[in-house]
Amino acid sequence: MATSPALIVCWLGLVLLSVASVQLGNTGGGLLLAGAVLLAALGKAWLIADGFMHLRHAPRLWRGLLLGWPLVVGGLVLLSLWLQRGF
Amino acid sequence: MDAGGRATQEAKAEVVFQRPGKRLPGDLAMWFFILAELTVFALLIVTFAVAQAWQPALFHASRGALDSSIGLALTLSLLTAGLFAALAQEQVRRGRSQWAGGLLLAALLVASVYVGLKLSEYQHLLGLGLGMEHNSFFTLYWILTGFHFLHVLLGMLILAWLAVRCWRRSQAGDDAVLESGVLYWHMVDLIWVLLFPLVYVLN
Repeated sequence: MATSPALIVCWLGLVLLSVASVQLGNTGGGLLLAGAVLLAALGKAWLIADGFMHLRHAPRLWRGLLLGWPLVVGGLVLLSLWLQRGF
Repeated sequence: MDAGGRATQEAKAEVVFQRPGKRLPGDLAMWFFILAELTVFALLIVTFAVAQAWQPALFHASRGALDSSIGLALTLSLLTAGLFAALAQEQVRRGRSQWAGGLLLAALLVASVYVGLKLSEYQHLLGLGLGMEHNSFFTLYWILTGFHFLHVLLGMLILAWLAVRCWRRSQAGDDAVLESGVLYWHMVDLIWVLLFPLVYVLN
């Protein structure tokens, strides 16, 4: 179970990734940058699920479902951006 | 079913869902509710992404009306409220319910920054005539962020109720009700984590 210092480290990670994703977004466009922004979002989702929601020691099914959600949705968003180039 | 029978059934359910060394925090019902909510938001987020793929120029131009620094402030207020809620959960486990109540109040105050910022953003957009019917970007923006905003308001009600509950009780240990309420807030955070880059950042 996460303790106060671990929770604060999680929060700091979340803040850093949030600032980094805005900075990346301000740099410009492109699929690579979008991928980096979505990767930052996945990192944040992992910190929330394992750190704040205490899923690190939860049954594998539930942890997989919660970690799989941002992976699938983020992947579909990235796929839509990739397909956008073909339209 | 009598109280004894119910207790036996609950114990059996715990054996099924909590294998040795593995523990699912909160109530199982809350987890099914969270899955349902995540599914609905996944559909909305993917709809936004697909619409953007069809009209990239319109989405790019419309996104210009949004301020990503406001989006960042909204993110930080939600995540900080999540931190306070998680810290409150830890204090309850240590038997410090009064501290937990204070931390939940802090979470509530930080979350109210989100509400203030979001309302001012909505007011600003409406002032510019960028309502729901302006174009497909703003239709989806209002649906997606409005639906999430309603979840934040419900989450704040839950945090307020949990704070009062903490001030009224003093026993230590795991509290499934508190865990479930706090999990709801983290779910709201989790959804925002994907919603924020899609609506404010990605071009």
